[in-house]
Amino acid sequence: MKEEARYIFSKGDLSRKDFSIQFKNEKGNMYLPIKDTKELYCFNEITLSTKLLELLSKAGIIVHFFGYYENYIGTFYPKDYLLSGRLTVAQAQVYAEKRMEIANAIICGIANNIHFVLYHYYRHGKKDLKPFLDWLKHDVGRLGSSANNIKQLLSIEGEIWARFYASFKFILPEEFIMNKRVKRPPDNPINALVSFGNSLLYSKTVSQIYHTHLNQTISFLHEPTERRFSLSLDLCEAFKPIIVFKTIFECINNRKISAAKHFDKKLNYAMLNEAGKKIFIDAFETRINQTFEHPVLKRRITYKQAIRLDAYKLIKFIMEGKPFKPFNAEENL
Amino acid sequence: MLTGTIVNYYFHCKRQCWLFYNKLNMEDNSEDVHIGRVLHELKLGDSPDAAIENVKLDKITPEYVIEMKKSDADLEAAKAQLMFYLLKLESKGIMRKGRLECIEKNKQDKKVHIVELTDENRQKFELLCREIENFLTSPTPPAAIKENKCKKCAYYEYCFV
Ligand code: SF4
Repeated sequence: MKEEARYIFSKGDLSRKDFSIQFKNEKGNMYLPIKDTKELYCFNEITLSTKLLELLSKAGIIVHFFGYYENYIGTFYPKDYLLSGRLTVAQAQVYAEKRMEIANAIICGIANNIHFVLYHYYRHGKKDLKPFLDWLKHDVGRLGSSANNIKQLLSIEGEIWARFYASFKFILPEEFIMNKRVKRPPDNPINALVSFGNSLLYSKTVSQIYHTHLNQTISFLHEPTERRFSLSLDLCEAFKPIIVFKTIFECINNRKISAAKHFDKKLNYAMLNEAGKKIFIDAFETRINQTFEHPVLKRRITYKQAIRLDAYKLIKFIMEGKPFKPFNAEENL
Repeated sequence: MLTGTIVNYYFHCKRQCWLFYNKLNMEDNSEDVHIGRVLHELKLGDSPDAAIENVKLDKITPEYVIEMKKSDADLEAAKAQLMFYLLKLESKGIMRKGRLECIEKNKQDKKVHIVELTDENRQKFELLCREIENFLTSPTPPAAIKENKCKKCAYYEYCFV
């Protein structure tokens, strides 16, 4: 498999050496060919030169930066290469006129995919999940379509996630049960995993939208002012259950990650240590590059491509009025 | 403004034509072409190719404008594109005939088609251009209909997802 995403965990300098990327750290020099690099993830103190940025920009390589607490800092985003004035104008118009329709579709997407993930556990004997599963299936859609404004939709979304986190007590070992979602900074292992996984997925989505004509700053569920690339917050939502949370459950339930071994004790286990980070990223990459046969396109595609396809669907809604329906795991897998 | 590519796409697929005109061009997925271009640009800087207005020509000789195509599928589209070039050149006082060379796969021999400006086809072509310009102003593109050519088209995923 082509290595598209490269992760840098150690301190060092990134520069341009002829036509490749050079990474220099204590251990020496490493060369990353631009040919099979699409994204760089920097998890440590990195210095870089404008000469390198020029190369990255020409080659369309995106760089995501993370801080000491595994928090997402920002993205180096080569200047837009796919621009369509007509789409940008139409996207803003849809924001003004049909924001609720898209926001509601995203919320239904989250509910459907959480249902898909939890149903697996229900089938394997976790009968306590039943009330939540029923609520996801029968109530969320109704609540969403009767909402009158974004605030109401956001509170439905909030409730979906809160009830999802509360259901962890039925499927995860004690040390990973979530009492309360705490984001910045996370306060225990499960919150750390959720934050880290969500940031990774968010970065992946930024990269996928980069390869489309959508304007990253005009979003529908989230306020466009929330973050610079707020559309990525929107489009990654429906994928969280099947990419982030399935990775988390898999790492925990298959004992790849344990609270004692893979978190930083000094920080009250609220942050993955380096070994933990590597294990998690590895599982995350495997998952996002996993393929399935797309029922309509009749092609094998990866989850990562599925994110891009959701962006295409949004373009089609904006340009051609075709109803927008986010990725639905049940229909695809 | 029309370009040779747009005229070509109009024959190939009207939906593709509309999407392309509205700058919904798809990412170039063939990685090797992309990297080749990157290296080329970095070495040479952004020097433009020899082009007249928005006309990029494969080859021009004292007698002919030569356009190379990999196969003779879509002959009509290629001929219209060539016609477009001939008229553009003529408006600059450059008179040429068009020569379309189709190199068929696995075969070395070329099939050659000659396109010449006559009053009759000039008129037909002008009508066609007006038709295309009209078409391009429609608010939405025509719906996608799955055909064999779609499987190889860069818009396939966009059209059918
Ligand atoms: S996929 Fe088919 S319908 Fe769509 S633009 Fe290409 S040729 Fe036209």
